[in-house]
Amino acid sequence: MSLWVDKYRPRSLDELHYHPELSSRLRSLAASGDFPHILFYGPSGAGKKTRIMCTLRELYGPGVEKLRIDQRVFVTPSNRKLDVNVVQSNYHIELTPSDVGMYDRVVIQDILKEIAQTQQVDLNAKQRFKVVIINEADALSRDAQAALRRTMEKYMNNMRLILCANSTSKIIAPIRSRCLLVRVAAPTDDEMSKVLHHVAKKERFALPSPAAQSILSTSQGNLRKALLVFEAMKMQRPDLNGDIEVAKPDWETYCSKVADAIIQEQSAQRLLDVRGKIYELLSHCIPPTVVLKTIADRIVDKVDDALKPQIIHWAAHYELRMRMGSKKIFHLEAFIAKVMTVYKQFNMIGYTEDYE
Amino acid sequence: MPPSTPKSSGKKADSEDYSPKKSQEKKKAVKKDEKPAGRDIRGFGSQKPTGSSSTGNGTGKKPITIDDSDEEEEIVEQKPTPKPTTSKHFAASSSSSKKPIVLDSDSDNTPAPAPTRSTASAKAKPPTPKSKPASTASSKRKVIKDSSDEEELEDIKPAKKRQSLAGGLSRATGKKSAYVEESDSSEEEVKPKPKIRAKKEKSVTPMDVDESESSDGDDFIDDDEDDLPKKSKSKAKPKAPPAKKPTPAKKPAPAAKAAKKELDEDEEKKEEKKPANPNWRAAAAARAAGPKNPGSKEIPEGAPDCLAGLTFVFTGELDSLGRDEAMELVKRYSGKVTGAPSGKTSFVIVGDNAGASKLKTIHEKKIPTMTEEEFFEFIRSRKGGQLDEKAMKAKQAEEKKIKQQAEEMEKREKEEEKERKRKEKALQGTGIAAKKVAPASSQLWTTKYAPQNLKEVCGNKAPVERLGTWLQDWQKNYGYGFKRPGKDGMGIYRAVLISGPPGIGKTTSAHLMAKQAGYNPIELNASDARSKKLVENATNIDNTSLDGFFQGTGVQSTSVVDVRVDSRTCLIMDEVDGMSAGDRGGVGALNVLIKKTKIPMILICNDRTLQKMKPLQSTTFNMTFRRPTPPEIRSRIMSILFKEKLKIPPNVVDELVKGVNSDIRQVLNMLSTFKLSKDQMDFDEGKQLVKVNEKNTILTPFTIIDKLTGPYAFSKTSRETLNDRMEYYFHDFSFVPLFMQEHYLKTQPALTNNLNGPEQNLKHLELVSKAADSISDGDLVDRMIHGSEQHWSLLPFHAVQSTVKPASLIYGPGRSTGASGPGAWGGPSFPQWLGQNSKQGKLQRQLTDIQIRMRLKVSGGRSEIREQYMPMLASKIVLPLVQRGTDAVEETIEYMDEYYLSKDDWDAFVELGVDTMSENIISKKIPTATKSAFTRQYNKADHPIAFHKGDMFAASKKKIADMGPAPDNEDVFEEDEPVPDEPSDKGEDDDEEVNDVTKDKLIKAVKPKGATAKGKAKAKK
Repeated sequence: MSLWVDKYRPRSLDELHYHPELSSRLRSLAASGDFPHILFYGPSGAGKKTRIMCTLRELYGPGVEKLRIDQRVFVTPSNRKLDVNVVQSNYHIELTPSDVGMYDRVVIQDILKEIAQTQQVDLNAKQRFKVVIINEADALSRDAQAALRRTMEKYMNNMRLILCANSTSKIIAPIRSRCLLVRVAAPTDDEMSKVLHHVAKKERFALPSPAAQSILSTSQGNLRKALLVFEAMKMQRPDLNGDIEVAKPDWETYCSKVADAIIQEQSAQRLLDVRGKIYELLSHCIPPTVVLKTIADRIVDKVDDALKPQIIHWAAHYELRMRMGSKKIFHLEAFIAKVMTVYKQFNMIGYTEDYE
Repeated sequence: MPPSTPKSSGKKADSEDYSPKKSQEKKKAVKKDEKPAGRDIRGFGSQKPTGSSSTGNGTGKKPITIDDSDEEEEIVEQKPTPKPTTSKHFAASSSSSKKPIVLDSDSDNTPAPAPTRSTASAKAKPPTPKSKPASTASSKRKVIKDSSDEEELEDIKPAKKRQSLAGGLSRATGKKSAYVEESDSSEEEVKPKPKIRAKKEKSVTPMDVDESESSDGDDFIDDDEDDLPKKSKSKAKPKAPPAKKPTPAKKPAPAAKAAKKELDEDEEKKEEKKPANPNWRAAAAARAAGPKNPGSKEIPEGAPDCLAGLTFVFTGELDSLGRDEAMELVKRYSGKVTGAPSGKTSFVIVGDNAGASKLKTIHEKKIPTMTEEEFFEFIRSRKGGQLDEKAMKAKQAEEKKIKQQAEEMEKREKEEEKERKRKEKALQGTGIAAKKVAPASSQLWTTKYAPQNLKEVCGNKAPVERLGTWLQDWQKNYGYGFKRPGKDGMGIYRAVLISGPPGIGKTTSAHLMAKQAGYNPIELNASDARSKKLVENATNIDNTSLDGFFQGTGVQSTSVVDVRVDSRTCLIMDEVDGMSAGDRGGVGALNVLIKKTKIPMILICNDRTLQKMKPLQSTTFNMTFRRPTPPEIRSRIMSILFKEKLKIPPNVVDELVKGVNSDIRQVLNMLSTFKLSKDQMDFDEGKQLVKVNEKNTILTPFTIIDKLTGPYAFSKTSRETLNDRMEYYFHDFSFVPLFMQEHYLKTQPALTNNLNGPEQNLKHLELVSKAADSISDGDLVDRMIHGSEQHWSLLPFHAVQSTVKPASLIYGPGRSTGASGPGAWGGPSFPQWLGQNSKQGKLQRQLTDIQIRMRLKVSGGRSEIREQYMPMLASKIVLPLVQRGTDAVEETIEYMDEYYLSKDDWDAFVELGVDTMSENIISKKIPTATKSAFTRQYNKADHPIAFHKGDMFAASKKKIADMGPAPDNEDVFEEDEPVPDEPSDKGEDDDEEVNDVTKDKLIKAVKPKGATAKGKAKAKK
């Protein structure tokens, strides 16, 4: 009864559909007995976590799939209580320290030390060490990353770390050098369509290729998204024939509306209206970078070719600022104001001032 | 033209001399900042009537007739080369320059002086150049014409805006249409109409806000009427060319200069447009913004006291001085400034756009008038100390009085000193340790010169006297049982409540009057604890203590604060409004005390309107003290100064008193400190002293934003420095940037005023974009400050980036934002950011909950859940309920269980949707029946739970603890160890257990044994 994306998730390295060379390397690593710290990185929906779980299964056997969730309470030095959700099996523990924002260092220090200082209790376990999975490692603050450094070396006996990140650029060099870097690239279209057909076969129907094509084009290498879209499409139009408009998620249509509003009119009043919409998106947990990107994409689609590079330039400019700053909306608004100005200038004068 | 007074007409010759000079000066000014170019054109506009009158019959109270202007045109046409003409025109214009305003006000009555007027003139500007004689460069004319067309387009807009600001939209549209109509009709009717208008408008009384608003509108129409006819007839206002102002000289310049002129024009328009929004607020802002050409003229240095005995009135906008500065100038030379002209006024200094009613009075009373220039000259030339006989006498009398008072004080001081010594001697003999009374010379001035009799109290004479009589009659009224109100109605009160601002002598007067009425005052103030108990006991009002009987004579026995209580005692409760937290029940107890007191009580507070003072309202006589006026304080201060041998002229004293809001205590303190370093004080030192002692107030962010982004906040005339503006930020540096971010889109930037249509919009956008960039920069700086690096030294930089710079770009009047509620009309509103941020935090937590529950099935993180899963899942667990209603409940619940989602999570799930999936829409779409069926169905069955949340578990633990012990205690005897410990242990064991309910039962069943065992184990430990 679960969604296809969860139902047909591969459970072992053998079941994985693509990146076979990666699977075999992971298998041999797991067999070698000298398992290193690993940093998995790659875009969202490429299969990082699936591979991590498969690797763990390879290490410990099916026991790792018996998951349970705990909520741990930490007390910061300033006496603030933090709730951290921890997913664990008998052999591993998985946490997302970035959930607690700037206090992630406390979590790292407390939990890791605790795990690292206790040995594996289960004598039947295949490995002497436990595995700690740290999700969203690229969202860790520098302090937290620094807290990891020494622990990684000191407690090597008892513990291995598996970091999971979208990009290595925000991970400090000392950590990168202590890990085996494993890149999980997004699947190619062929690989994706192989998976889609596999699912279709399991669900006992045939997937027409135009439908497959439109799924591939909307999902852009994100297999999770592809499968979700696939299922949605199947629900929408059970025969999957003809020209199928893939239903866009709510936030994406809303972003498009914002973009359209920007194209439609450029004025302070409009910016004020747009601000309200942006606030709504942000408060409903759509990450600001995603908002910026979606809006920029949409605008680029609609404007004159001469303006496109400029808009992309400004989008990049303000995304950087957004990441450096703390109040995201300020930068988003600055971006929109800029786009409005540039667009209006272009329409009125026919050219725009050079951007830096 | 009404030759107002013989004096002014006599001055005509002088002004002829001035004018050329002036125009030269002006030319310089032009070079400096191209602004004045605009002003002269404005001059044309405003002078229009003047010119006609001067060329006409000279009594041109009437608007110009067509014939008149024809004549004029001829005149000018005869002299096409302007330079030679100038002198003659100057002559003509100089007379006008003397009283241009008088005429102006006749033609259109302008109540709100500054901005209205300048709009009008701005409006009048475009047609005028067009109608210039053909001799002027034609290319120039073209340029101007263009701009004038543009302007006309825009004219409609401001008019509307202003109106709507004043009165609301409906009215605005009405006005607007009226405007259109009138201008249409005027095209045919032409001149005579203004005449009628003028009359009509005259009947209106100006100087009142409402009035000014409405007549603002009139102004517009009026001006346009003037314009349109001119245009249609292309009859021109040739009289214009020379005017008093500089351009005339410039205008004739060859066509080559046209380009430059255009620039000027642009510049000037920028300036002009600002006032193009004349509402009362703008008027106030303009007044605050100051003169047009600050510092363009040298401020004269006159002989000291050269204006002594003279009274001045200012009206209209002076060219180089702000109103405050002008008034200060007069006071500096001991002159007097009053608000409205009267018979006693010596001179009226008339600026541009003078108030109509003042001009009328001036005219009626025949008060001599002066221009700014003349005024300066007057100061320069007049000798100091010229006083007429009467004034001289008055002055001498005052001096004598001061001397007398000082002598009195001297005498009294000597006597006191003698008395003190005598006492000291007497006490030395007795051997009693006497408290030493400090000699007068070492006392504070405020004590030393505290008033000793009624005569010396400054101001508030009437209330003080009443207080005296009340005290005197108190015993009598006591005898009557406070039943007879008496002459002034005070007879029924046992107590008096004096209220008023600090430093005006409330306490002093109370003490003084109590002593004079033969009472012995006891003072209790905020430094004494005054709780209910203490008020009841310590005051010892019933005089039951024998305390005083057992002490020797000559020493005051102590009862309450060192003062003996007897029947002739008076209780002064100072700072009653300071009875707060620590003095619980104080006011109530005091009130009870008042009702039964056997001695008079005087209560003193600053603000009797406070809520906690309410109980006292009915039981006390209410007496309000007001701030004394400077003259009331002056003589007292002067005699003190005389005695202290401090030389400070009276005008400086006045300035000091005014500077501290008539706080006598503060003036004395200031002076006594000043005395330590100097023996003399001049005007500037006085100003400085006041400035130093200025009390700082914290402004609210709303006020700050108003100040920073006001229509004139960054105009050229604004006197605030960067530091002043940064100072605003520091009033509340965490909030002001947020307010600025909220507000910066809600103004119509003044910098766009010279543009219109799409260009204005573009400019506006550019400014907004720049401001947004600056705010974005500010956020980066903020991150440096509040982030891990804590660079607090960057705060000033943050001030500039987040607040001052955006304000400098987008300052301007507020703009309607179309929204309702506060801030909809352009005023600052509370930052949305705060609310949105906390909402985001809340939803983020809910999303985390959803994610962690789904985690057992799903690999994605939070953002993936939100971005990818939720839209899909919605079609499984939300949309079916919308589409199929109750049928889909089963299926939905099944799906939720699959992903371990609870009903709460479902709610959160719905709340997280946006656009078509937003909570409002969805919850409206799901029928109530379905909703309740869903809830019922869900609660009926058990559901898998991924884990126990910490708080959930804590709650159930408590519940168990509550339920557990009750049945146990009966079986288990002598069980003193707390039982609650036990179930909690149990609970932990059951950690992995899924269901609460089963747990409860389990525990209950097992309890008796377990509890005993555990309890014993505990006891052993």
